Amino acid sequence: MSKLLNKLFGALLDKPWESEQAAIDNAHEGKTFNLSVQKSAVFIVFGIATVLFSLVFTSYLYTLPPDQDTKYLLRPNLLWINTLILFFVTYFFNKVTNDLEKKDTSKVKKNLLIIGGLTYLFLFGQTFFWFQLLKSGNYVSTNSYFANFYVFTALHGLHLFGGLFFWGIVSSRVLKLEQNKILEQKKNISALSIYWTYLLIVWLMFFLMIYIFNDSFIAWCKSLIS
Amino acid sequence: MSDEYENKTGYQAQSSETISSGSGGGSRTASDIDYVRPAEVTDQDLYHGHSFITKWVFCQDAKVIGVQYFLLATFTGVIGLILSWLMRLQLGFPGAAGFMTAEHYYQFVTMHGMIMVVYFLTALFLGGFGNYLIPLMVGARDMVFPYLNMVSFWSFFVAVGVLLASFFVPGGPTGAGWTLYPPQTILEGTPGSGWGILLMCISLILFVAGFTMGGLNYLITVLQARTRGMTLMRMPLTVWGIFTATVLAMLAFPALLVGALMMTLDNVLGTSFFMPTIIQAGEILEYSGGSPILFQHLFWFFGHPEVYIVALPAFGIVSDLISVHSRKNIFGYRMMVWAIVGIGGLSFFVWAHHMYVSGMNPWFGFFFATTTLIIAIPTAMKVYNWIITLWRGNIRLNVVMLWCLGFIVTFVNGGITGIFLGNVSVDVPLSDTYFVVAHFHMVMGIAPLMVIMGAVYHWFPLVAGRFLNETLGKWHFWLTFLGAYSIYFPMHYLGFIGVPRRYFEMYDSPYMTSAVGMNEFISMAAFIVGAAQFILIFNIIKTLKTGKPAGSNPWKANSLEWLTPSVPPEHGNWGDKLPVVHRWPYDFNVPGAKEDFITQTTPPSDVVGTEVEKT
Repeated sequence: MSKLLNKLFGALLDKPWESEQAAIDNAHEGKTFNLSVQKSAVFIVFGIATVLFSLVFTSYLYTLPPDQDTKYLLRPNLLWINTLILFFVTYFFNKVTNDLEKKDTSKVKKNLLIIGGLTYLFLFGQTFFWFQLLKSGNYVSTNSYFANFYVFTALHGLHLFGGLFFWGIVSSRVLKLEQNKILEQKKNISALSIYWTYLLIVWLMFFLMIYIFNDSFIAWCKSLIS
Repeated sequence: MSDEYENKTGYQAQSSETISSGSGGGSRTASDIDYVRPAEVTDQDLYHGHSFITKWVFCQDAKVIGVQYFLLATFTGVIGLILSWLMRLQLGFPGAAGFMTAEHYYQFVTMHGMIMVVYFLTALFLGGFGNYLIPLMVGARDMVFPYLNMVSFWSFFVAVGVLLASFFVPGGPTGAGWTLYPPQTILEGTPGSGWGILLMCISLILFVAGFTMGGLNYLITVLQARTRGMTLMRMPLTVWGIFTATVLAMLAFPALLVGALMMTLDNVLGTSFFMPTIIQAGEILEYSGGSPILFQHLFWFFGHPEVYIVALPAFGIVSDLISVHSRKNIFGYRMMVWAIVGIGGLSFFVWAHHMYVSGMNPWFGFFFATTTLIIAIPTAMKVYNWIITLWRGNIRLNVVMLWCLGFIVTFVNGGITGIFLGNVSVDVPLSDTYFVVAHFHMVMGIAPLMVIMGAVYHWFPLVAGRFLNETLGKWHFWLTFLGAYSIYFPMHYLGFIGVPRRYFEMYDSPYMTSAVGMNEFISMAAFIVGAAQFILIFNIIKTLKTGKPAGSNPWKANSLEWLTPSVPPEHGNWGDKLPVVHRWPYDFNVPGAKEDFITQTTPPSDVVGTEVEKT
């Protein structure tokens, strides 16, 4: 962290007009971070997405009255299985990136296909759960609890769809490549892997939040100050 | 490449004769002191369009995309201007526009505000200047993701199309005010509460999505694709301003997106994010539990940084213009960078000063008033530094400089009234009066517009290779400058006497007697100022046909955009080799130098014996 802050703000102390500083600056390569542009893009997307999801979380906390039954989503249901699937996706991504680090490209194609398949399965599972919710009479307009749930899952799903778009581009390239040239796609695959891990973390945060900040918790908070 | 070009850019292999370094250190060869590390980053592969469509329409060259942004933003700006004329016609001469109803008036107010803030100023500064200048100023061939950059512009294009389509749908565009506050926005009785607000929200979502693609490009190009020798602290302040504003936009626009999305769901699917239990025309609606204040928080979490998304690029650009046209290095470069970054950071902690009358906890008012007043410190530092840069400079009083001076005065005016409004006790009585209208038009309307105009006159020779006509430019400036003060100075007075804004007419209120003459005067001035902007359009058309050729680096500036092999720069910007940077961009009138400027690519061996004062 301190390295990052130093990279970002340490340079602000330089005096570029002085000859001593000029000698140092002349040796500068031009890049701020030792990252590929793909990875840089993913990290910036994290920043934007974090603000976006934080605002949805805030809206959830702001509009959730204590008289709404928030137990529904926490009962055993498809969401838990979907969460498990997302864990598996991250596991396989991790496997691919580790293999690439070791320059072992034998299973990359297969694992990339598994990753895509599991992600589609997750999205299918989420959509199926939506239908289950609708069937049980819990619509987006039923109350703010479900409204926020639908909005969050939709935004999370859209982010995964965005990831799948780039996964499609990278995978189609990798599938056409000979084994020994797959390493050329390492930067792209590694960027995708970080993105998927981030979306798993966001999903877990959301799950944790609806688990902790439910109606009982809000009622308990109110009892403390009343 | 010509010899002249090689001398200026330092592309030529350096001489190996032995020289004496001005900064001491004994005898070294020129190749020693000019040494730069070999390039470690591979050169960028660019897509070169071959047909008219791929070269000029679906183009991936950031410069063309910048011009596309500029033209489309200007087009929407002209629509915003026409809407303001119609509003002023009604205010100055009620009933003169026969077709104008109260609903029309509210719709024009709303669309004028949204168009000018988001679709004109933001798009023009970041999309227009950002695309054109960032790759050139940092020495890159293009943005790092050119395809994404192209998609960004076309998303903006569709967003503008959707926004303007709302003029032609049943009920017309939304008339809820540019802040789009619920519950009013989606209740019947508000103009455009059906299709109008729906299209507005969709348009904003498209705009944000498109901008995110562009913003990614701006940030990564600045951080990761600079040329050799171009450290962050060697970047021109223009790049710093646009870069920091983009960071702000990337963090603030999600709030607008969430607000627009939730508003659409409230409107279309009956959710209650922002809608409390409410009665409409005697009937209880099915909404319950939503919070209108939540929307205000979301909107202003975007809305206040938005002020700086417009202002920071203006700060950066004006700093560079002042430095070049007063032939002096910018005073306190580091402080200017810190101020830009500091203002950017602070701008996320002041949003609720727009909500003093919303009924929020008074302690919030105290907190946000404090942060608001703190932000005046770095802002004032910038103003002082501009003035000190001008002090004893070799000022060229050309049209560019006139716009810069106009900006400083106007920004100080608008800034001071901002300090009034930042205080809760002063803001409450002035809320929703013309004082507020005058304040924000001065500080984020006219002041940035003056920078845009200065920038257009400054960089037009780069874009088109010809100088804009100075005489026409001076007419343009003086009519705009004097006219803008004729509009907004009296508006402060209207606010002080309590004339409320957003009123279609004053009916028989006591304001009629004292404000009617002033309203007529303001409207006349608004018509003239608006018409004066067409001088620029005429000037551009005339210049493109018969303007004086500018040649290479006509202002004798130091920054890289003026040092391209061809003017206007071609796709790829730099010919065969990327430039190598040896200094910051503000070496003007350096003691010991033959000329009054040293370009960023001039190697040390070419200016031996020059020494910048140590600080």
